[in-house]
Amino acid sequence: MTPTATANTTLPYRRAGFSSVPEMLDYAARGETGVNFFDPRGRLTAALTWREVRDRAHVFARRLIGAGFARGERLLITADTWPGFMVSFFGAQYAGLLPVPVSLPAGLGGKDAYLDQLRRQLSASGAVAALATDELAGYLTAAAEGSAARLVGPMSAFEALPEKPVDLRPWGAGERCYLQFSSGSTRFPLGVDIRQDALMANIAGQIGDNGLAVSAQDHLTSWLPLYHDMGLIGFMLAPLASQRAVDYLSSRDFARRPLQWLALMSQRRASVTYSPSFGYDLTTRRAQTQAIDGLDLSCVRIAGIGGDMIQPNVLSRFAERFGPAGFSAGAFMPSYGMAEVCLALSFGKLGDGFHIDDVDRQQLSEERVATPVPESESSRTFVLCGLPLPGHPVEIRDEAGKTLPERRVGRIFAQGPSIMAGYFEAPEASAEALKNGWLDTGDLGYWLDGQLVVTGRAKDLIIVNGRNIWPQDIEWSVEELPQLRRGDVCAFSIDAEDGAESIVVVVNAWPAKDDARTALVGAAQQIVKETVGVDCVVQLLSPSIGLPMTSSGKLSRSRARTRYLAGEYANGGRRPVPVAT
Amino acid sequence: MRASHKFKVYEFADDAMSDAPTVTRDDVRADICRRLDPFRTDARPITGATVITKDLNIDSLAVMDMVMELEDTYDISIPLNVVAEIHTVDELTDTVLKIRGER
Repeated sequence: MTPTATANTTLPYRRAGFSSVPEMLDYAARGETGVNFFDPRGRLTAALTWREVRDRAHVFARRLIGAGFARGERLLITADTWPGFMVSFFGAQYAGLLPVPVSLPAGLGGKDAYLDQLRRQLSASGAVAALATDELAGYLTAAAEGSAARLVGPMSAFEALPEKPVDLRPWGAGERCYLQFSSGSTRFPLGVDIRQDALMANIAGQIGDNGLAVSAQDHLTSWLPLYHDMGLIGFMLAPLASQRAVDYLSSRDFARRPLQWLALMSQRRASVTYSPSFGYDLTTRRAQTQAIDGLDLSCVRIAGIGGDMIQPNVLSRFAERFGPAGFSAGAFMPSYGMAEVCLALSFGKLGDGFHIDDVDRQQLSEERVATPVPESESSRTFVLCGLPLPGHPVEIRDEAGKTLPERRVGRIFAQGPSIMAGYFEAPEASAEALKNGWLDTGDLGYWLDGQLVVTGRAKDLIIVNGRNIWPQDIEWSVEELPQLRRGDVCAFSIDAEDGAESIVVVVNAWPAKDDARTALVGAAQQIVKETVGVDCVVQLLSPSIGLPMTSSGKLSRSRARTRYLAGEYANGGRRPVPVAT
Repeated sequence: MRASHKFKVYEFADDAMSDAPTVTRDDVRADICRRLDPFRTDARPITGATVITKDLNIDSLAVMDMVMELEDTYDISIPLNVVAEIHTVDELTDTVLKIRGER
């Protein structure tokens, strides 16, 4: 088996300018590039040219149409990184069905929670058909019992449908495209109604000169999950819009062997990749104990960062570790976006790396002003997230809705052709997010030299005595304790009896000994006091309970708060100690 | 599927056990217990009946790291749906042996 070509020989390079996903695939199918799947040892397991993807998608589409599925109905797909995902996703595009990519089970003993999540997603999307990888077909079948789905199973169940000589009915300009479950809660999943027009506009921005400036020489590598907009749009649909080849490593394999991500890029001379901060962190950590001889990352033109709050220290450590392997820190490209704009809203400058802004912590919290200061104990560091995409006005507004000037912190609103039409069949949630044609991103930020600086989620902001405190400030500083890891801490506020807010810090650790627990609580309180200058309650939580996450794997502070208030975290959330009889 | 393309295969983990002819159930269970030992909550030893995500002081990330190490050690891949149904040390032990036997 050999990988597909990484460049087309005769097909003229076309960067965006298509009207729909089927039109993009029809065009790319005239060349030799395509998608390649690698296992955790870097061995090629499958390779499909875009032409093969299209041909198989056509067959899949005729089966769906022949089976009587109506235009606009939904097809749920477990979005593992496998060729069947591409075939079914694009098959649905040619059949006029809406694909609904969903995530994979989380880990040991996670079956019940996963089935529950599938049931909610089946119900929220009203899926009439549901396709799983072979290994998850049993779960999906169990979850779909009693749902609206008429056909549920692995690829073989769909391949058993007769391929009838029916006309394809591809989605066209202005029509729907797919449903993207956003990072909302897993309990009430919200599917962003992604439309062809918005998608085309956002992709044009992503790969255009103000974004990644993708050229006919570029070749992409990704381990990002395909149920997330950054993986699906950024590393499947945007490469398709520019006829690029993509090499995939599954997210699970990346977690197992993060260095294989870099090895794959090095071997295949890939030029563009992306990851949230935690991916750079994981890779750097693994490289502390593993040799990286032979890695040559001088081919990496863009190492994008998105999907979580960008952590400058993590990026610096990555650049330091992999600099000797040819990695250039200039390749870092901070960006900001969300599924509600398809994917991207702003990008840093090409080749410029990342830039930070140290601001005074006190003025930030008390006056919502980002005043530049030298880095110190009392400063807070943010990464600049670049310029908004052309044609996408962005405003930062105060609580009264007034637009704010540079260095004043407020809520980020966006407008433009990439903005979603709404959440699928959720008018209330849509009306809350879309106001007079503007998207309320729910994020806070400020302007600096025309660049957006994102400071955090508005709803997570903690306000104590009129001061704004960012939960990340608390979390990141407490996580510096030697016995804790990144992601072990969750900070939020609760209403105290006098109507003020007080801070609760939940720490995902439960040392076996009483005095070790007392010491950890004391150390955490001390750090919070030093960092943000307020007292707090520290609640230790048994790691077997774990902090709640959203469906896209981000910490859910609001659910942690709900559980804390419900008393679920008392005694570390452990089962009550049985009374001796 | 083994790759026929010309790129070098990078090995980032030691596959100490991958060529070992046989491993017994006791070997695998002892190996798992040893890996889980740092996560004990009290003096009670870890046994086959220990429920990994409930009885131990271990978070989901560390559990998955351990599963991945086992996969590397025994040169197996445990499917996601199988992982999601494992609760005890014995269940994990039997899964490792079963999949190893199917190679």
